[in-house]
Amino acid sequence: MKIKYPLRKRASKQTIHKPTFCLSKSNAWLLWLSQVLNISMLVFELSNWMIAIVVLCFCLQAVRIHQNMKPDHGISQVNSITWVSFNTISPVLLLMFALVGCIAIALTAKGLGVLISMIHLLCFSYVLKAFELRSRKDFYQVTLLGFFVLASSLIFTQNLYFSVFAFMVLMLNLLVLYQYFSVVKTVPNNLKTILFLLLQSVILAVVLFVFFPRLSPFWQVPLAKSAQTGLSATVQPGDIAKLARSSELAFRVEFTQNTVPSYDKLYWRALVLDNYDGRQWSKSTRNNIWGLALFQKELQRLASLPTSEAIEYRVTVEPSFQQWLFALPVANSFDSSINLTSDYTLKSKKIISQTQSYLVKSYLNENKNRPLTKSEWELNLSYPENSNPRLESLANQLNSQFNTPEEIAKAVLRRFNNLDYFYTLEPPLLINNSLDQFFFDTKAGFCSHYASAFTFLMRAAGVPSRMVTGYMGGEVNRLNAKADSQGHLNIYQYDAHAWSEIWIAGQGWVRFDPTASVDPSRVNQGFSQRLSDQRDYLDNNFFSLQSMKHFAWINNLRLTLDLLDYQWTKLVIGYSAEKQYELIKRWFGQVKSWQYGLIIVGAIILVMMVLFFINAYSPKTNKVQTPKKPWGFLYNKSLKLLAKKGVNKSPDCSANHFVKQVNKEVPAIAKTFARFSHYFVQLSYQQLSKQQQSILFTKMKNEYRKLNQQVNKVSYKR
Amino acid sequence: MQHLIESVLNQIESVVLGKPRECRLALACLLAKGHLLIEDLPGMGKTTLAHQLAISLGLSYQRTQFTSDLLPSDVIGVSIFNQELKNFELHKGPIFNQVVLADEINRASPKTQSALLEAMAENQVSIDGNTYNLPDPFFVIATQNPLFHSGTYPLPESQLDRFMMRLSLGFPDLKAEKKILQANQELSTNIHTNVLNPEQLLEMQQAVQSITVSSDVIDYVIALCQVSRYQYAMDKKLTQNKAVLSSGLQCNPLSPRAGKALLAAAKAWAYIEDRDYVLPDDVQAVFYEVCQHRLEPQQFQPNQNEVSAAKQILGLVDVLNPLAY
Repeated sequence: MKIKYPLRKRASKQTIHKPTFCLSKSNAWLLWLSQVLNISMLVFELSNWMIAIVVLCFCLQAVRIHQNMKPDHGISQVNSITWVSFNTISPVLLLMFALVGCIAIALTAKGLGVLISMIHLLCFSYVLKAFELRSRKDFYQVTLLGFFVLASSLIFTQNLYFSVFAFMVLMLNLLVLYQYFSVVKTVPNNLKTILFLLLQSVILAVVLFVFFPRLSPFWQVPLAKSAQTGLSATVQPGDIAKLARSSELAFRVEFTQNTVPSYDKLYWRALVLDNYDGRQWSKSTRNNIWGLALFQKELQRLASLPTSEAIEYRVTVEPSFQQWLFALPVANSFDSSINLTSDYTLKSKKIISQTQSYLVKSYLNENKNRPLTKSEWELNLSYPENSNPRLESLANQLNSQFNTPEEIAKAVLRRFNNLDYFYTLEPPLLINNSLDQFFFDTKAGFCSHYASAFTFLMRAAGVPSRMVTGYMGGEVNRLNAKADSQGHLNIYQYDAHAWSEIWIAGQGWVRFDPTASVDPSRVNQGFSQRLSDQRDYLDNNFFSLQSMKHFAWINNLRLTLDLLDYQWTKLVIGYSAEKQYELIKRWFGQVKSWQYGLIIVGAIILVMMVLFFINAYSPKTNKVQTPKKPWGFLYNKSLKLLAKKGVNKSPDCSANHFVKQVNKEVPAIAKTFARFSHYFVQLSYQQLSKQQQSILFTKMKNEYRKLNQQVNKVSYKR
Repeated sequence: MQHLIESVLNQIESVVLGKPRECRLALACLLAKGHLLIEDLPGMGKTTLAHQLAISLGLSYQRTQFTSDLLPSDVIGVSIFNQELKNFELHKGPIFNQVVLADEINRASPKTQSALLEAMAENQVSIDGNTYNLPDPFFVIATQNPLFHSGTYPLPESQLDRFMMRLSLGFPDLKAEKKILQANQELSTNIHTNVLNPEQLLEMQQAVQSITVSSDVIDYVIALCQVSRYQYAMDKKLTQNKAVLSSGLQCNPLSPRAGKALLAAAKAWAYIEDRDYVLPDDVQAVFYEVCQHRLEPQQFQPNQNEVSAAKQILGLVDVLNPLAY
């Protein structure tokens, strides 16, 4: 506070003596608003301290703009526009602040990852730059930075609504830029112009989007740390209940030709967890060469199956920053970006950082009976000794009572069904994740509890078994259902589920879902009323459209919006090189690369021509009025000729006066130009007959020819 | 005719030393049938210029010193009852001369100012119900002290508009001042005779009116006027652009009468330059003197650093393509 007064005093002195960069009052606020919106697009990616800095800077900026409006701070009032100067903070102070900020960013960079810290830097510089708008150049820089900030927000989110919002913010940014040049026109008027211009560029962008070759990126955007969503690699009892409260989209499935299978068959396998350490389930990290070799055979078998038995569908996954993908068993995919693992799951080759889609064929009636290797057999039977003694003794008892694994499993399921087991999103806490405590004492849990306990029991009873996590069910959106399509399925995070698979000789891995015995409605139609009430209650998102499902029209609206978003994801985000190739093939047939090049160039030229004609015949565009008379036109040409040599005529300089200027600056052509100019002056201002005019104009044209030759010999002046 | 113009100018310049431009402007104003306002500090040669102009052109001349107690009748004249002839006799005031020098016009009361200015506009005066035509050519040269001097009644904008030009002689340069001081004795005794007679002057005024003005020049005048009217946004393309708005231009709008005066003065300037057509250069040459007093806001505080409104306006209009910004 102490230093503020002298600083401002100095600044106001500057504004009196030097003409400084100014924005009109309304445009200053617009710039401020666009900055706030640009940054707010990234607000979820910024760390708290950065948000604090940004908010502080914006508040300061707002106060300064407001103060600047008082007419005593170096502001001139012209035509009722108040001009706001932005250059009122000491550059030294600003530099210090910038340095401190950069050091802070550098220090935290390790924890944040490259991408996020770079975005911090970008935002920081964007906010600070607005404090030193000294010239038009600085203003351009701020606007350009704004575009970068806005564009970088699209790295993190690409869905339709966000993109539309980003487009609007882009318009605001352009408005600020445009408003600077036409201060007097009202904002709606300028907005109209911007819309018109944007529309043209959108047409061009669409053509480029469709036709321009999709090059693989020259550089990789470094990935943000954290931000992993969805299922995790390890499961403890009670884990999935947290996911069940999130109504975020996990993935979408479109069945291209076939009908959607019945709800209880929609087990989307994601992860097979076969390693149990007494507390949590995880995937074994052992290298399983034999298993892979055996699986190759299995793949051949799947490939040889008739396609009529398979159902085909396209899955579009939302970015989860993990690698596992989702499919119905038994799945096969020929997508080049996908690996098939030996436990019949799909895995992406890269971390899914943006929306990705892939085609899957599933054979619902096939068995997963790849022979087990010895090590696998052992792994699927192992459990830490004495981790859950009561369950072990129960397993021994069951083992002696029944003969086949199936019977044992069914007995356990009966037990879940008959005794008072309780399916809840808020399970009581277990000491040390003890399954004993859950099974015999609390008897309340979520799917992961039941699957854990069941798998453990089976292992203890000597039946190879494993835990599988994934998603169960999905919501059908039939709004775009056509003859060849059944609409698409939305699978949300709350559909996350865990179940078991046990090995039965001859049938291979067979799915058992203990949750079905406890709460049959979960596997038949999704969450029961009681559970979804519970979920809505726990959900922070009270006003989400999800929670108002029971209003028909809201539900309809939600499904429509979902359909829009799906189409956007499918057609725009998912427009890959492959799809581009298919499209071109469909439109133009098989094309060679040079033909393809021709198509691109042709399309661009076509669009340019369309835009040119729109502009040429649009009555609204402000065309620079060309001189009506031919000599005026010729004189203008000569001015351009001279301007190339660095001789510029200021607008208020008359023709005769300009002759003197040319005489001084380029004596070599002065005589010719003087004659040329003299004819022009005579033609323009003297009263002449038609005949005289044509004679003089011919002379003028001759002089112009000479002038043209002479000018080309003159070297550039400066 | 041109040699006559030359000799008139030579004669005036030999008296008003070191001010050729101002002399030419004064002559141009007269040839354009306009009235002249000379604003300057006392003792700068205002009266000398007016006096010499009248002599050189062979016109009758009378000087009236305006004071705060001067009455309209003192300027125009008054009917006095003649005891012998038993009728009212008009005693014509100084206004019935061909050149009237109204010295320090802003010292007189507004009433008297108005009487003079009315006569200027109408070229006739009414006394006791009788209308009397003023002589032709009729030319008023008013001088005034700068407004910040005490005891002045500033002329309102409407009356300033009646003067075609406002000149300011300014201090002479060193050479001219030396000459003035050396020649002081001779000059006062030097008797100049008329170069022109009134008929020749009327002929010249006719010739000035018939000078060719192309539409490009008219466009230029229009554009200049339009820019001064930017607050009224008549022609948006011309006036509502960045250049105009960021220039910080502050001025009163130019009236159509100002536009007419500008064109007339430009014609006269072209005539003095011995051309039978007007160039934009002529418009530029007379623009400051013709327009600055119409553009200045009333309570204008002259500031050395500031560019005059007239110069700003000239800078804002493209000479060769005036109506297309």
